[in-house]
Amino acid sequence: MDFDIKETWLHKINPSLKLLFLIVLFISVLFIHNINFLINYTVAAFLLFAFFTGHPMKRILLLLIPFVLIFVSTATSMIFFGKGETTWWKWGLIHITEESFYRGLHLGFRALIFALLGLMFSLTTRPVFLFYSLMQQLKLKPKYAYSFMAGIRLIPIMIEEFQTIRQAMIVRGVEQRKGLANFFHKLKAYSIPLLSQSIRRAHRIAVAMEAKRFSNDTKRTFYYEIGFSKYDLCFVLYFIIAILLSYYAAKMLPFFPVTDVRYIE
Amino acid sequence: MDLVCEVKNLRLKYPGEESLLFKDVSSSFCKGEKVLLLGPSGCGKSTFLQVLSGLIPKSIEVPMKAEKILTPSSWGYVFQDPDTQFCMPYVDEEMAFVLENLQVKREQMHEKMRVYLKMVGLHFDDLHISIQSLSGGMKQRLAIATVLALHPDVLFLDEPTAMLDPEGTKAVWDTMKQAAQDKTVIIVEHKIDHVLDFVDRILLFNQKGQIVADGPKEQIFSRYRKEIREDGIWYPGVWEDYLRDKQGYYKKTPLKEQVVIELEQFKGYRKKEVKIDVPYGKVHAGEWIAIVGKNGAGKSTLLHSLMQFIQTTGTYLLLEKEAKKIKKLSNMLSFVFQNPEFQFVTNSVYDEIAYSLRIERMKEEEIRTKVEEMLELFHLQKHRHQHPYQLSMGQKRRLSVAASIVKKQPIMLLDEPTFGQDSSNTFQLLELLEHYRKQGSTILMVTHDEQIAKHMATRIWRIEGGKLVEDEIHSCEDEQMYVQI
Repeated sequence: MDFDIKETWLHKINPSLKLLFLIVLFISVLFIHNINFLINYTVAAFLLFAFFTGHPMKRILLLLIPFVLIFVSTATSMIFFGKGETTWWKWGLIHITEESFYRGLHLGFRALIFALLGLMFSLTTRPVFLFYSLMQQLKLKPKYAYSFMAGIRLIPIMIEEFQTIRQAMIVRGVEQRKGLANFFHKLKAYSIPLLSQSIRRAHRIAVAMEAKRFSNDTKRTFYYEIGFSKYDLCFVLYFIIAILLSYYAAKMLPFFPVTDVRYIE
Repeated sequence: MDLVCEVKNLRLKYPGEESLLFKDVSSSFCKGEKVLLLGPSGCGKSTFLQVLSGLIPKSIEVPMKAEKILTPSSWGYVFQDPDTQFCMPYVDEEMAFVLENLQVKREQMHEKMRVYLKMVGLHFDDLHISIQSLSGGMKQRLAIATVLALHPDVLFLDEPTAMLDPEGTKAVWDTMKQAAQDKTVIIVEHKIDHVLDFVDRILLFNQKGQIVADGPKEQIFSRYRKEIREDGIWYPGVWEDYLRDKQGYYKKTPLKEQVVIELEQFKGYRKKEVKIDVPYGKVHAGEWIAIVGKNGAGKSTLLHSLMQFIQTTGTYLLLEKEAKKIKKLSNMLSFVFQNPEFQFVTNSVYDEIAYSLRIERMKEEEIRTKVEEMLELFHLQKHRHQHPYQLSMGQKRRLSVAASIVKKQPIMLLDEPTFGQDSSNTFQLLELLEHYRKQGSTILMVTHDEQIAKHMATRIWRIEGGKLVEDEIHSCEDEQMYVQI
């Protein structure tokens, strides 16, 4: 699974710091109730995601499709069915009110912001660096870090196997039945060989790792020394400034006349 | 002489097995010795190697007992499967994993990596190269390099070339000869062509896990040739011995009239790129075509194109019908994959063979007679109730072939069916294929084995760089006819 990626400053951020800081951001987003603030914030996150991950624009847009769908579905379900007093439109079960409209949009943006930040993280962080950093900065035990890294190595092999099994099924003429029974049959036909191979592989890799003197009790040196740099500061500052600016802009130039989307009875 | 490794009266039993795998087995190894462990599949050679290295019981928990056991203080272990001995995605990171374990300072790592990779003859301008992009032979050499970094006195090699093509096999053993001159090396291997001039002592096991002979290689070979042959070991000369016994079984017959496959300007695509190109090819009933060529040349891709797993263009006629218009190709073509396990869809050997017939809604009695016939022909009668996964390597392979061809499709496509098999299983399979060929089946088979191409096939297709470049027909009187494409 090799991609052509340009390395940007986002790649150079310490992965542990990036992870922890994003978790803080995720939680803080939950406490924003002003829709204008949230929209500005989303724009700030979008800028990073769209222009600084080093991936080609085509891939960025492709990745965005499912999340735009999530945005639409979260927003509309709240808009159509949410509670509210100022009715704009009513038709059967669908009841759009001013309050539910804003709350729906708000929820949609919240989902989008999670998606943008999460994608930005996964697009700019190599798992190997993440685990090296977790071992060095957060003192994760090598036992866990290396099991994850070995596990990640197995994924492309499993994808290849999945294709082979699918072809084997065609050859055996399996694709004939329909319905639920067939679904379970298929599930079994794919998962048993995949799992049995993976368990066998995992066991072999574990033995091979121990044969290479991997053990829990010795200290180890690190091939990748992962430290902190000015980019970490940039990253944190970017968000602090972005949040402050978004807040200020929301005060000065609001899109909507609402400052709190929560429903108060 | 200095002892580096010894076991005395080893007893070992795998949980769930009825009898002991080893009962009072003893052996010892001296510094600098190169020893080969030989024996039939399933006799416990690999287990023995794991005990000698201490992997059993330290890393793999198996109940065992020994009067005395001496494992070397520093050792390295190279495993059979090139894909399951690395835990990192890149060459430099994998080398670094070992160096980190040994607490080598970070600044010295790059230099050391270069040194060890040079020892095994691997040269990369940039060490940060994906392991997945290497060939099997290169992966095994990388595995040796990582093991050399451990500064081992003793090297344990557990069939390091079982999953490699001839080229990779040779490269691995050439590497070993250079890099392990001064080390003690203990080897388990079935394909012993290149190993023989490297080792000086042989330990011969029998089916019951007993050591029946131990001595210099010349002596073992002259005295135990019969046993070695029966054990399914690929010793030098095994083909000559086999063909002498089977004289006249593999007969080249004149071409039959009926054309089963016709290809013209046939191209197969992966990701919109042409990966296989057959300018012209006509296959007659009863032909056995060996598809040969280097790794990655496009041999398997050709089979996948014929099976329509991938997109194709050009003329492709199957029994005079256009293949694209045939709804179920699996009624005309059978396909046998490299890894038999991927084909198994049921829980018993019997059901596995019956599967395709049941899909056709054939009557149970009729199915029974057909399946029984197959079970007998493929020597699987005793295992009919077993789960396919519980069979041995050779049995799995035979079952996968039996289950694929039970519908009596006129054409068989096989992707390296003899890969990783010992010699007796290989010969059994080849005899079965020849049996079907004589009855009029057509066989297209990807193989790395020159001998199969030479002695069994009636025709050879050579693939180079994604193109069929040579078509060689062996006619009935050993005259060869070349068709240059």
